[in-house]
Amino acid sequence: MPGQRKKFIILIVAFSVVTFGWITIGAGSDEVPYVSIAQLVDTDHEWKQTRFRLGGYVDEGSIVYSNARRTVEFTLIQEDDQLPVRYEGLTPDMFKDDAEVIVLGQLDDGVFVADNLMTKCASRYEVDISEPAYDLGRKI
Amino acid sequence: MALFGATLIQLAFLLTLSAIGMSAWYFWKQDLRFYVGARRSLIGASLLVIGAALTLIQQLLVGNYALEYVARYSSRTNDGIYKIAGLWAGMEGSLLFWASVLGTYIFLVSYFNRKRNRTLMPIVNIVLGIVMLFFLFIIINFENPFRVLPLGTAIEAQGGTGLNPLLQNWAMLIHPPLLYLGYVGFVVPFAFAVAALVTKRLDATWIRSTRRWTLIPWLFLGAGVILGGRWAYVELGWGGYWAWDPVENASFLPWLTGTAYLHSVIIQEKKNMLKMWNVVLIMITFTLTIFGTYLTRSGILSSVHAFAATDLGIWFFGFVVFIILSCVALLVWRKDELSSQRRLESFTSRESGFLFNNMIFLALAMAILWGTMFPILSEAVRGVQITVGSTYFNRITAPIGMLLLVLVGVGPLLSWRRTSRATLLRNFTWPLAAGTGTMVIAMLLGMRQVYPLIIAGLVAFVLAGILIETVNGIRARRRLAGEGVFLALRSMIDKNRSRYGGYIVHIGILCMFIGFAGKAFSTEQDVSLGQGESEILKGYTFTVDRFYTEEHPSYSAFIVDLAVEKQHRPVTVLRPERRHYTNWEDQPNTEVALFSRPLEDLYAIVGGYDPESDKVLLKIMINPLVQMVWLGGIILILGTLVALLPSRAERKAKEVTA
Repeated sequence: MPGQRKKFIILIVAFSVVTFGWITIGAGSDEVPYVSIAQLVDTDHEWKQTRFRLGGYVDEGSIVYSNARRTVEFTLIQEDDQLPVRYEGLTPDMFKDDAEVIVLGQLDDGVFVADNLMTKCASRYEVDISEPAYDLGRKI
Repeated sequence: MALFGATLIQLAFLLTLSAIGMSAWYFWKQDLRFYVGARRSLIGASLLVIGAALTLIQQLLVGNYALEYVARYSSRTNDGIYKIAGLWAGMEGSLLFWASVLGTYIFLVSYFNRKRNRTLMPIVNIVLGIVMLFFLFIIINFENPFRVLPLGTAIEAQGGTGLNPLLQNWAMLIHPPLLYLGYVGFVVPFAFAVAALVTKRLDATWIRSTRRWTLIPWLFLGAGVILGGRWAYVELGWGGYWAWDPVENASFLPWLTGTAYLHSVIIQEKKNMLKMWNVVLIMITFTLTIFGTYLTRSGILSSVHAFAATDLGIWFFGFVVFIILSCVALLVWRKDELSSQRRLESFTSRESGFLFNNMIFLALAMAILWGTMFPILSEAVRGVQITVGSTYFNRITAPIGMLLLVLVGVGPLLSWRRTSRATLLRNFTWPLAAGTGTMVIAMLLGMRQVYPLIIAGLVAFVLAGILIETVNGIRARRRLAGEGVFLALRSMIDKNRSRYGGYIVHIGILCMFIGFAGKAFSTEQDVSLGQGESEILKGYTFTVDRFYTEEHPSYSAFIVDLAVEKQHRPVTVLRPERRHYTNWEDQPNTEVALFSRPLEDLYAIVGGYDPESDKVLLKIMINPLVQMVWLGGIILILGTLVALLPSRAERKAKEVTA
């Protein structure tokens, strides 16, 4: 039945197109750029309104807790650049001096206000598991 | 011993090389001596690799801290069982572990096919040999686990760093081995598919020969993924079990395509259609397992599973490209043999049900792959690394997951070839009624969220379908064979184990979806409480009774006694801890306090102590229905076992031939 075969092919193609569209649109709705501190200064882009992600190291001795340990402030360093970061919430176990962290949030008056803090382990020896931060988002 | 282990690996490399050569020679000249020789060398190589892994375990157990690997991943204070876990805690060890798992599979495949599949086996051996060769090459040249530390190194004297405390958990003991057993195992059906292509034996023989070889890795991989979730839930303390982390995704992807394959092979077995499709699916699945290893091991994606970035990436990438190119070449070479003579006849047939199931699984895999690779793709295209988070994954996968649930229900209700209107009506009326009824009741009870409502309806729809079919089957047997209800059920399942095992797996998946839906109703709260102070959350009163420090041999713990009451009745006392392990003083380790009730989990972690206000910082969560995820996982495993175990008829046949 050649007609039937055609229908199947049309259906498969349609399904693929819809899925692909669905995926790309979905991706667009949750894009978060990964930038460097240098980029924040150098580009003309107005970063103030944008949510973005930063990766770097916690400057030694810069961690300060306040508000009964519920707020933490520290300096994030990337090679020569640095930026103050503020985060509200419980910090992951591996959050400490020199830890490699990834923060997600927005700039506010020169301070990066993070709503998500993840750590990667940069301890003395390579260790293969670190900890996803709290509030990674709701799952269905 | 270090030299011994390294030598074993080098010998295994040489033996594998000769096995590949001999297999190829046999295939060329059909000289049986070379077939036997190849088989023996490959088995020998496998045993040597397993021996090397056992040597490393032995070194970990006796604590030879002169070996760099042993010093890094175990310590005198670790329990024996966690010393063994050191084998897969680091890069070098896990590669060796990988190779030894492959060796085990090779050994078993050779054993079970010693008298069977003589045309396929030489090619199967070549494929298995090449994969083994690649891993041994990497181990020998870049990641030798038997490297000796320079004399007088401090970490040797102090007796090793020890396993990261986060890994010291029962689930972490089994999770990596299970994942590896799953990952590596898909190489077997892949090798058979390649062999079938090369030898033009593209009927269902290779598929029948590998049915169990596919189910076993599929089971291990699924169980490994679920256990990983369990570990994250009880150990990491962020209250969830799945974060769409690249490494999690990497293990989930081959499971998805593998599931698609498990379904589509049924059509080839029954109808001799979709030959090309099945070959492609298993190729994709195998490529994804190697690609997953590449993602995990190369450090190109920033993942919370931060393996050290190494220059291995390029080798793995090269291997992936080699696999893809060879597969494409093979497919082009054999494209004429792969076309089916038969066509799908109707949309409302079980065949097309399976086809749509496949498309949806692939769409799901594509969506997850796309999101995982997005940082790399966007950097290549736009020059900026852009990541997508769990919002993307949840938004994209939820509707695809719902579609899949629909098919789980619809598929089994359709007949082969085409389903007549009368049958459609008969088969669908009750399940549809059950589904809509459940949704209406849930709405009347006040459920308003869209996804949970849909899931509730779909679960009822699928369950009703399975139930009706089972009841009809039992009735028929009772009528024909005059058996009692339970005997009828048993013999019905035994007659068609893959089918009913599949249904049980479906029920497990339903349970898991109910658990996922529960996430929409979870509550969490960060609180600072002093002694005697309390917080009320969803009708539960959480009161800090006291907090104190306890000293243990390998750690010291800060503990909070958190009394929980509901309607003035004590429920439990939660004891979240914050531990500091010896050797890991600057990394506190939160121990989750978890109290599971049938319908909800009470979950608490302690974030710290503030001396100024004399209060402790706590995160309290109430997670409904999480138990259903684990229950679903157990049912899934049981269902797969039902499908795996031989039926009575098969067992009898074996006795006769034996």
